[in-house]
Amino acid sequence: MIAEETLVQELKDKESQAKAFEVLVNTYKERLYWHIRRIVLDHDDADDVLQNTFIKVYRNIDGFKGDSKLYSWMYRIATNESLTFLKQKSKKMGIGDQELKERLVENLEADVYFEGDAIQLKLQKALAELPDKQKLVFTMKYFQEMKYEEISEVLETSVGALKASYHLAVKKIEAYLKAD
Amino acid sequence: MKKDKKNSFNTPEGYFESFHDRLMDRIQQEGAGEKESIIPKTDGFGVPERYFETVVPNILSRTTQEKGKVVPLRPKKYFYYGAAAVAAIFLLIFSGMWNSDMETINFDDLANTEIDTYFDNNSIDMSSYELAEMVSLEDIQLNDILEEDLSGEVILEYLDENVDDLRDLNIEYIDYE
Repeated sequence: MIAEETLVQELKDKESQAKAFEVLVNTYKERLYWHIRRIVLDHDDADDVLQNTFIKVYRNIDGFKGDSKLYSWMYRIATNESLTFLKQKSKKMGIGDQELKERLVENLEADVYFEGDAIQLKLQKALAELPDKQKLVFTMKYFQEMKYEEISEVLETSVGALKASYHLAVKKIEAYLKAD
Repeated sequence: MKKDKKNSFNTPEGYFESFHDRLMDRIQQEGAGEKESIIPKTDGFGVPERYFETVVPNILSRTTQEKGKVVPLRPKKYFYYGAAAVAAIFLLIFSGMWNSDMETINFDDLANTEIDTYFDNNSIDMSSYELAEMVSLEDIQLNDILEEDLSGEVILEYLDENVDDLRDLNIEYIDYE
Protein backbone atom coordinates (compact mmCIF):
# COMPACT_ATOMS: atom_id res chain seq x y z
CA MET A 1 0.00 0.00 0.00
CA ILE A 2 1.27 3.45 -0.93
CA ALA A 3 2.42 5.68 1.96
CA GLU A 4 0.01 8.46 2.84
CA GLU A 5 2.53 11.30 2.46
CA THR A 6 3.52 10.06 -0.99
CA LEU A 7 -0.12 9.77 -2.02
CA VAL A 8 -0.87 13.32 -0.86
CA GLN A 9 2.14 14.65 -2.80
CA GLU A 10 1.04 12.80 -5.91
CA LEU A 11 -2.51 14.12 -5.51
CA LYS A 12 -1.20 17.68 -5.41
CA ASP A 13 1.02 17.18 -8.45
CA LYS A 14 -0.97 17.77 -11.68
CA GLU A 15 1.13 15.16 -13.53
CA SER A 16 0.37 12.29 -11.16
CA GLN A 17 -3.00 13.54 -9.86
CA ALA A 18 -5.34 11.38 -11.94
CA LYS A 19 -3.57 8.11 -11.14
CA ALA A 20 -3.18 8.99 -7.45
CA PHE A 21 -6.86 9.92 -7.21
CA GLU A 22 -7.85 6.54 -8.61
CA VAL A 23 -5.68 4.88 -5.96
CA LEU A 24 -7.30 7.05 -3.30
CA VAL A 25 -10.84 6.19 -4.43
CA ASN A 26 -10.04 2.48 -4.58
CA THR A 27 -8.42 2.55 -1.14
CA TYR A 28 -11.15 4.41 0.73
CA LYS A 29 -14.38 3.82 -1.24
CA GLU A 30 -15.70 0.98 0.91
CA ARG A 31 -14.77 2.43 4.30
CA LEU A 32 -16.27 5.82 3.42
CA TYR A 33 -19.35 4.22 1.85
CA TRP A 34 -20.20 2.29 5.02
CA HIS A 35 -19.56 5.35 7.15
CA ILE A 36 -21.93 7.41 4.99
CA ARG A 37 -24.49 4.63 4.63
CA ARG A 38 -24.84 4.31 8.39
CA ILE A 39 -25.71 8.00 8.56
CA VAL A 40 -28.05 8.37 5.56
CA LEU A 41 -29.35 4.73 5.61
CA ASP A 42 -30.53 4.64 1.97
CA HIS A 43 -28.15 3.16 -0.63
CA ASP A 44 -28.89 5.69 -3.42
CA ASP A 45 -28.40 8.58 -1.00
CA ALA A 46 -25.15 7.01 0.24
CA ASP A 47 -23.98 6.67 -3.37
CA ASP A 48 -24.67 10.39 -4.02
CA VAL A 49 -22.93 11.48 -0.84
CA LEU A 50 -19.94 9.19 -1.48
CA GLN A 51 -19.43 10.68 -4.94
CA ASN A 52 -19.80 14.22 -3.60
CA THR A 53 -17.31 13.45 -0.85
CA PHE A 54 -14.65 12.28 -3.29
CA ILE A 55 -15.30 15.28 -5.57
CA LYS A 56 -14.82 17.59 -2.56
CA VAL A 57 -11.58 15.78 -1.69
CA TYR A 58 -10.40 16.16 -5.31
CA ARG A 59 -11.23 19.87 -5.41
CA ASN A 60 -9.74 20.68 -2.02
CA ILE A 61 -6.66 18.49 -1.88
CA ASP A 62 -4.41 21.54 -2.41
CA GLY A 63 -5.81 22.97 0.79
CA PHE A 64 -5.00 19.81 2.77
CA LYS A 65 -2.19 20.89 5.09
CA GLY A 66 -1.47 17.49 6.61
CA ASP A 67 -2.35 18.66 10.14
CA SER A 68 -4.43 15.52 10.48
CA LYS A 69 -4.20 12.19 8.70
CA LEU A 70 -5.65 12.05 5.18
CA TYR A 71 -8.29 9.47 6.11
CA SER A 72 -9.40 11.60 9.11
CA TRP A 73 -9.79 14.57 6.82
CA MET A 74 -11.80 12.48 4.33
CA TYR A 75 -13.97 11.01 7.08
CA ARG A 76 -14.65 14.54 8.31
CA ILE A 77 -15.74 15.61 4.82
CA ALA A 78 -17.90 12.48 4.50
CA THR A 79 -19.52 13.13 7.89
CA ASN A 80 -20.26 16.78 7.11
CA GLU A 81 -21.56 15.92 3.63
CA SER A 82 -23.87 13.25 5.08
CA LEU A 83 -25.28 15.48 7.82
CA THR A 84 -25.76 18.38 5.39
CA PHE A 85 -27.45 16.01 2.93
CA LEU A 86 -29.94 14.93 5.61
CA LYS A 87 -30.57 18.53 6.61
CA GLN A 88 -31.30 19.51 3.01
CA LYS A 89 -33.48 16.44 2.53
CA SER A 90 -35.62 17.26 5.57
CA LYS A 91 -35.95 20.84 4.34
CA LYS A 92 -37.02 19.70 0.87
CA MET A 93 -39.59 17.36 2.39
CA GLY A 94 -40.78 20.08 4.77
CA ILE A 95 -40.32 17.95 7.87
CA GLY A 96 -38.12 18.13 10.96
CA ASP A 97 -34.79 16.31 11.42
CA GLN A 98 -36.24 13.76 13.84
CA GLU A 99 -39.23 13.00 11.62
CA LEU A 100 -36.88 12.42 8.69
CA LYS A 101 -34.78 9.97 10.74
CA GLU A 102 -37.92 8.04 11.69
CA ARG A 103 -39.11 7.95 8.07
CA LEU A 104 -35.72 6.70 6.87
CA VAL A 105 -35.90 3.81 9.34
CA GLU A 106 -39.50 3.04 8.28
CA ASN A 107 -38.34 2.94 4.65
CA LEU A 108 -35.76 0.27 5.52
CA GLU A 109 -38.54 -2.30 5.90
CA ALA A 110 -39.20 -2.09 2.15
CA ASP A 111 -35.56 -1.47 1.15
CA VAL A 112 -34.16 -4.25 -1.05
CA TYR A 113 -30.66 -3.36 0.11
CA PHE A 114 -31.50 -3.83 3.77
CA GLU A 115 -31.25 -7.46 4.74
CA GLY A 116 -31.63 -6.95 8.47
CA ASP A 117 -33.93 -8.99 10.68
CA ALA A 118 -36.36 -7.64 13.29
CA ILE A 119 -33.63 -7.00 15.88
CA GLN A 120 -31.43 -5.17 13.35
CA LEU A 121 -34.40 -3.02 12.37
CA LYS A 122 -35.05 -2.29 16.03
CA LEU A 123 -31.39 -1.33 16.38
CA GLN A 124 -31.88 1.27 13.62
CA LYS A 125 -34.91 2.62 15.46
CA ALA A 126 -32.82 2.89 18.62
CA LEU A 127 -30.04 4.68 16.70
CA ALA A 128 -32.56 7.15 15.27
CA GLU A 129 -33.42 8.20 18.82
CA LEU A 130 -29.82 9.11 19.64
CA PRO A 131 -28.33 12.60 19.21
CA ASP A 132 -26.20 12.81 16.01
CA LYS A 133 -22.87 12.77 17.80
CA GLN A 134 -23.70 9.77 20.00
CA LYS A 135 -24.91 7.85 16.96
CA LEU A 136 -21.73 8.69 15.07
CA VAL A 137 -19.48 7.64 17.93
CA PHE A 138 -21.41 4.40 18.39
CA THR A 139 -21.36 3.35 14.73
CA MET A 140 -17.71 4.31 14.26
CA LYS A 141 -16.66 2.34 17.34
CA TYR A 142 -19.05 -0.61 17.23
CA PHE A 143 -19.47 -1.35 13.51
CA GLN A 144 -16.43 0.29 11.95
CA GLU A 145 -14.19 -0.76 14.85
CA MET A 146 -12.27 2.51 14.79
CA LYS A 147 -9.97 3.42 17.68
CA TYR A 148 -11.00 6.27 19.96
CA GLU A 149 -7.90 8.20 18.82
CA GLU A 150 -9.02 7.91 15.19
CA ILE A 151 -12.60 8.96 16.01
CA SER A 152 -11.17 11.84 18.03
CA GLU A 153 -9.35 13.16 14.94
CA VAL A 154 -12.45 12.89 12.76
CA LEU A 155 -14.97 14.39 15.17
CA GLU A 156 -12.46 16.75 16.80
CA THR A 157 -13.60 15.66 20.25
CA SER A 158 -11.49 14.48 23.17
CA VAL A 159 -11.06 10.73 23.74
CA GLY A 160 -12.62 11.08 27.21
CA ALA A 161 -15.75 12.72 25.82
CA LEU A 162 -15.98 10.03 23.12
CA LYS A 163 -15.76 7.23 25.69
CA ALA A 164 -18.56 8.86 27.68
CA SER A 165 -20.68 9.27 24.52
CA TYR A 166 -20.11 5.65 23.51
CA HIS A 167 -20.97 4.34 26.96
CA LEU A 168 -24.16 6.42 27.03
CA ALA A 169 -25.12 5.29 23.53
CA VAL A 170 -24.65 1.60 24.42
CA LYS A 171 -26.80 1.98 27.54
CA LYS A 172 -29.58 3.74 25.60
CA ILE A 173 -29.52 1.18 22.76
CA GLU A 174 -29.56 -1.78 25.16
CA ALA A 175 -32.46 -0.25 27.07
CA TYR A 176 -34.36 0.33 23.78
CA LEU A 177 -33.71 -3.22 22.57
CA LYS A 178 -34.79 -4.73 25.89
CA ALA A 179 -38.03 -2.75 25.93
CA ASP A 180 -41.05 -4.38 24.23
CA MET B 1 0.11 -29.24 50.59
CA LYS B 2 3.05 -27.18 49.46
CA LYS B 3 4.81 -25.22 52.21
CA ASP B 4 6.67 -21.96 51.81
CA LYS B 5 10.03 -22.22 53.56
CA LYS B 6 10.04 -18.58 54.67
CA ASN B 7 6.61 -18.39 56.27
CA SER B 8 3.82 -20.56 57.51
CA PHE B 9 1.42 -19.92 54.58
CA ASN B 10 0.78 -22.74 52.15
CA THR B 11 -1.21 -23.34 48.98
CA PRO B 12 -3.29 -26.25 47.68
CA GLU B 13 -1.42 -28.94 45.77
CA GLY B 14 -0.74 -27.92 42.16
CA TYR B 15 -2.04 -24.34 42.73
CA PHE B 16 0.69 -22.57 40.78
CA GLU B 17 0.89 -25.23 38.06
CA SER B 18 -2.80 -24.83 37.23
CA PHE B 19 -2.96 -21.04 37.79
CA HIS B 20 -2.37 -20.14 34.14
CA ASP B 21 -5.08 -22.48 32.87
CA ARG B 22 -7.61 -21.23 35.38
CA LEU B 23 -6.79 -17.62 34.55
CA MET B 24 -7.25 -18.24 30.82
CA ASP B 25 -10.58 -20.01 31.48
CA ARG B 26 -11.80 -16.98 33.40
CA ILE B 27 -10.69 -14.56 30.67
CA GLN B 28 -12.55 -16.68 28.11
CA GLN B 29 -15.65 -16.79 30.27
CA GLU B 30 -15.64 -13.04 30.70
CA GLY B 31 -15.09 -12.60 26.96
CA ALA B 32 -18.08 -14.85 26.32
CA GLY B 33 -20.13 -12.73 28.73
CA GLU B 34 -19.29 -9.60 26.77
CA LYS B 35 -20.33 -11.25 23.52
CA GLU B 36 -23.76 -11.85 24.96
CA SER B 37 -24.64 -8.17 24.48
CA ILE B 38 -28.08 -7.87 22.97
CA ILE B 39 -26.80 -5.41 20.36
CA PRO B 40 -26.42 -7.32 17.06
CA LYS B 41 -22.89 -7.49 15.65
CA THR B 42 -23.95 -6.55 12.13
CA ASP B 43 -26.49 -4.00 10.98
CA GLY B 44 -27.98 -5.74 7.94
CA PHE B 45 -27.16 -3.22 5.21
CA GLY B 46 -26.42 -4.54 1.73
CA VAL B 47 -25.27 -3.03 -1.58
CA PRO B 48 -26.17 -3.85 -5.20
CA GLU B 49 -23.99 -6.46 -6.84
CA ARG B 50 -20.62 -5.11 -8.10
CA TYR B 51 -21.45 -1.66 -6.70
CA PHE B 52 -17.91 -0.96 -5.50
CA GLU B 53 -16.51 -1.77 -8.93
CA THR B 54 -18.93 0.51 -10.77
CA VAL B 55 -18.71 3.47 -8.42
CA VAL B 56 -15.04 4.14 -9.22
CA PRO B 57 -15.52 5.02 -12.93
CA ASN B 58 -18.52 7.17 -11.96
CA ILE B 59 -16.42 9.24 -9.58
CA LEU B 60 -13.44 9.44 -11.94
CA SER B 61 -15.65 10.54 -14.85
CA ARG B 62 -16.98 13.41 -12.73
CA THR B 63 -13.45 14.65 -12.05
CA THR B 64 -12.51 14.54 -15.73
CA GLN B 65 -15.71 16.41 -16.65
CA GLU B 66 -14.72 19.15 -14.22
CA LYS B 67 -11.24 19.24 -15.70
CA GLY B 68 -12.51 19.79 -19.27
CA LYS B 69 -11.72 23.31 -20.34
CA VAL B 70 -14.32 25.57 -21.90
CA VAL B 71 -13.04 27.09 -25.15
CA PRO B 72 -13.75 30.83 -25.10
CA LEU B 73 -15.99 32.09 -27.90
CA ARG B 74 -13.80 35.17 -28.35
CA PRO B 75 -10.11 35.60 -27.71
CA LYS B 76 -9.32 36.50 -24.10
CA LYS B 77 -7.77 39.92 -24.80
CA TYR B 78 -11.03 41.26 -26.35
CA PHE B 79 -12.87 40.17 -23.25
CA TYR B 80 -10.45 42.11 -21.05
CA TYR B 81 -10.77 45.24 -23.26
CA GLY B 82 -14.56 45.03 -23.00
CA ALA B 83 -14.49 44.49 -19.27
CA ALA B 84 -12.09 47.42 -18.81
CA ALA B 85 -14.37 49.70 -20.88
CA VAL B 86 -17.46 48.74 -18.87
CA ALA B 87 -15.56 49.25 -15.62
CA ALA B 88 -14.39 52.72 -16.79
CA ILE B 89 -17.97 53.75 -17.64
CA PHE B 90 -19.28 52.62 -14.26
CA LEU B 91 -16.41 54.44 -12.54
CA LEU B 92 -17.33 57.68 -14.30
CA ILE B 93 -21.03 57.37 -13.53
CA PHE B 94 -20.63 56.47 -9.88
CA SER B 95 -17.62 58.64 -9.03
CA GLY B 96 -19.97 61.61 -8.53
CA MET B 97 -22.21 59.60 -6.32
CA TRP B 98 -19.34 58.31 -4.21
CA ASN B 99 -19.94 58.98 -0.58
CA SER B 100 -16.72 59.49 1.32
CA ASP B 101 -18.15 58.42 4.65
CA MET B 102 -19.55 55.18 3.27
CA GLU B 103 -19.39 52.49 5.95
CA THR B 104 -18.12 48.96 5.53
CA ILE B 105 -20.63 46.15 5.77
CA ASN B 106 -20.89 44.73 9.24
CA PHE B 107 -22.83 41.97 11.01
CA ASP B 108 -25.89 44.17 11.61
CA ASP B 109 -26.32 44.61 7.85
CA LEU B 110 -27.04 40.94 7.38
CA ALA B 111 -30.70 40.21 6.96
CA ASN B 112 -32.15 37.82 9.53
CA THR B 113 -33.32 35.55 6.74
CA GLU B 114 -29.72 35.21 5.50
CA ILE B 115 -28.56 34.22 8.97
CA ASP B 116 -31.46 31.77 9.34
CA THR B 117 -30.65 30.24 5.94
CA TYR B 118 -26.99 29.85 6.93
CA PHE B 119 -27.92 28.02 10.14
CA ASP B 120 -30.45 25.86 8.25
CA ASN B 121 -28.00 24.84 5.53
CA ASN B 122 -24.89 24.37 7.64
CA SER B 123 -24.39 21.89 10.38
CA ILE B 124 -23.61 23.96 13.46
CA ASP B 125 -22.24 21.39 15.83
CA MET B 126 -22.56 23.20 19.14
CA SER B 127 -23.84 21.85 22.40
CA SER B 128 -26.40 23.82 24.36
CA TYR B 129 -23.64 24.49 26.91
CA GLU B 130 -21.39 26.04 24.23
CA LEU B 131 -24.29 28.15 22.95
CA ALA B 132 -25.09 29.29 26.48
CA GLU B 133 -21.47 30.39 26.89
CA MET B 134 -21.64 32.48 23.71
CA VAL B 135 -25.04 34.06 24.19
CA SER B 136 -25.21 36.11 27.33
CA LEU B 137 -28.47 35.61 29.18
CA GLU B 138 -28.37 39.23 30.27
CA ASP B 139 -28.84 40.35 26.67
CA ILE B 140 -31.65 38.01 25.80
CA GLN B 141 -35.19 37.56 26.99
CA LEU B 142 -36.96 34.21 26.91
CA ASN B 143 -39.57 35.59 24.55
CA ASP B 144 -36.84 36.62 22.05
CA ILE B 145 -36.20 32.97 21.18
CA LEU B 146 -39.78 31.71 21.29
CA GLU B 147 -42.10 32.03 18.34
CA GLU B 148 -45.04 32.78 20.60
CA ASP B 149 -44.88 34.83 23.77
CA LEU B 150 -45.37 32.86 26.92
CA SER B 151 -47.51 34.35 29.59
CA GLY B 152 -46.53 33.93 33.23
CA GLU B 153 -49.65 31.85 33.72
CA VAL B 154 -48.58 29.30 31.07
CA ILE B 155 -45.10 29.03 32.58
CA LEU B 156 -46.50 28.46 36.06
CA GLU B 157 -48.92 25.84 34.73
CA TYR B 158 -46.03 24.03 32.98
CA LEU B 159 -43.89 24.08 36.12
CA ASP B 160 -46.79 22.87 38.21
CA GLU B 161 -47.35 19.87 35.93
CA ASN B 162 -43.74 18.97 35.15
CA VAL B 163 -41.58 19.85 38.12
CA ASP B 164 -41.95 17.82 41.30
CA ASP B 165 -39.73 19.95 43.46
CA LEU B 166 -39.13 23.61 42.66
CA ARG B 167 -35.71 23.31 44.30
CA ASP B 168 -34.65 21.23 41.25
CA LEU B 169 -34.69 24.45 39.24
CA ASN B 170 -31.82 25.87 41.29
CA ILE B 171 -33.47 29.26 41.41
CA GLU B 172 -32.70 31.59 44.27
CA TYR B 173 -36.04 32.38 45.84
CA ILE B 174 -37.15 34.24 48.86
CA ASP B 175 -39.10 32.32 51.44
CA TYR B 176 -41.95 34.59 52.44
CA GLU B 177 -43.18 32.28 55.15
